[in-house]
Amino acid sequence: MSDPVLTGASQVLLREMGLNDGAIERRKRIVGIEPADVTRIGTIRDVVVPNVEQYTEVFFNHLAALDEARPLLSSRALADHARQLKKEHLIGLASGDYGAKYVEQRLQLGLVYAKAGLDTRVFLGAFHHVLKSIGVNVMKRFERAPLEGFESFMSLKKVAFFDIGLIVDVLVFERERTIRQQQEAIRELSTPVLQIRDRMLLLPIIGIIDTHRARLITESLLNAIRASRARVVVMDVTGVATIDSKVANHIMQTVAAARLMGAAVIVTGLSSEVAQSLVALGIELSKLTTVGDLQGGLEEAERILGYRVTQTTGGPAPALGAS
Amino acid sequence: MPVPILKQGEVLIASIQAALTDKDLVELRDELARQVGAYRSRGVIIDVAALDVLDSFATRTLRAIVYIAKLRGASTVVVGIQPDVAFAMVQLGLNLEGVVTALDLEEGLDHLAALAGRSGGRAG
Repeated sequence: MSDPVLTGASQVLLREMGLNDGAIERRKRIVGIEPADVTRIGTIRDVVVPNVEQYTEVFFNHLAALDEARPLLSSRALADHARQLKKEHLIGLASGDYGAKYVEQRLQLGLVYAKAGLDTRVFLGAFHHVLKSIGVNVMKRFERAPLEGFESFMSLKKVAFFDIGLIVDVLVFERERTIRQQQEAIRELSTPVLQIRDRMLLLPIIGIIDTHRARLITESLLNAIRASRARVVVMDVTGVATIDSKVANHIMQTVAAARLMGAAVIVTGLSSEVAQSLVALGIELSKLTTVGDLQGGLEEAERILGYRVTQTTGGPAPALGAS
Repeated sequence: MPVPILKQGEVLIASIQAALTDKDLVELRDELARQVGAYRSRGVIIDVAALDVLDSFATRTLRAIVYIAKLRGASTVVVGIQPDVAFAMVQLGLNLEGVVTALDLEEGLDHLAALAGRSGGRAG
């Protein structure tokens, strides 16, 4: 019936989005679905379920008229799959059971839309048309008791809004997935701890420091200090564009932790703007050993470790590539 | 369990082997204060490598040991703080200010040797 790959994906998504039973109940409460609504929906089930084909057509006809929906409809397989899921959706809508299984089906539909790049506004427009035609049929059925019909329809609409909430969340979640993956990549790439000399480490920090990353940086530095028995660490922050009080605090914590393991930390590369803003903010950095640039920091570290670097007589050696 | 204190020349080495109760820490403090005077030691090393946690009481007692030993004429180095322990300590704001720390026993001995102006000192 449904794509096994997609079923797996929707189950993963269910977990990633944190949609456990409690969260689903909470969502129901937000739109206000109550037992009375389920009863009322029961009275219009035979308006919805036998006409599922018709409503699905309404949905896809509306999409067919829109240029924005072309990615979904141009792929035959995707369109058929979406059609099938939509039918299941409409049957589910009137079923009265809106548990984890129902939510998972909505996520599947959301994933198909996300895959096709269907925008929220397009899907909302088409879905509204479906609701309208269901509403018309309901009102026809309850011609003698319009209030009762309206209430039943509004109950159904609550479930429809519950669904919209889920599908919009899936679309947003999928779009943000790319951003999350890139952030993760940046985090992993940008916390190297390099050994420059025996017992001397270089920690270049590039990009944005948040709490999570500060933790990673500190952990990898502390482990590197132990592994290479480092005595001096040069922390270069040239690549950190702005330092606010929070970031300064992270840096201070890293320095303090390194000191507890017996390593001195020299911070280098505080630009004039950063230095000025730190002073203006009144951040206490007096306990920090700082040197203007990376070169100066490395020289200071060498001095602490007792190295003396001298240039051999006769000027620079020939470059490696020269013949 | 009392902490064994080894005498190595002019240095006393307290090697903590297992998790300590507050009472053990106080006993260690008192015993070190006594022995520094008794052996006329110039240096004290406290090795905490075996500890998984250093709480506020432990850090306060360590600091007390450092100051007491200093008043009795000995310099103290705390050695062997593990990465996880160091991270947890700074998170809790326990920075052990005023206490000299070193990576391990060897580093600590190096540091004390440098302080005593002997050979092999490279510490800054």
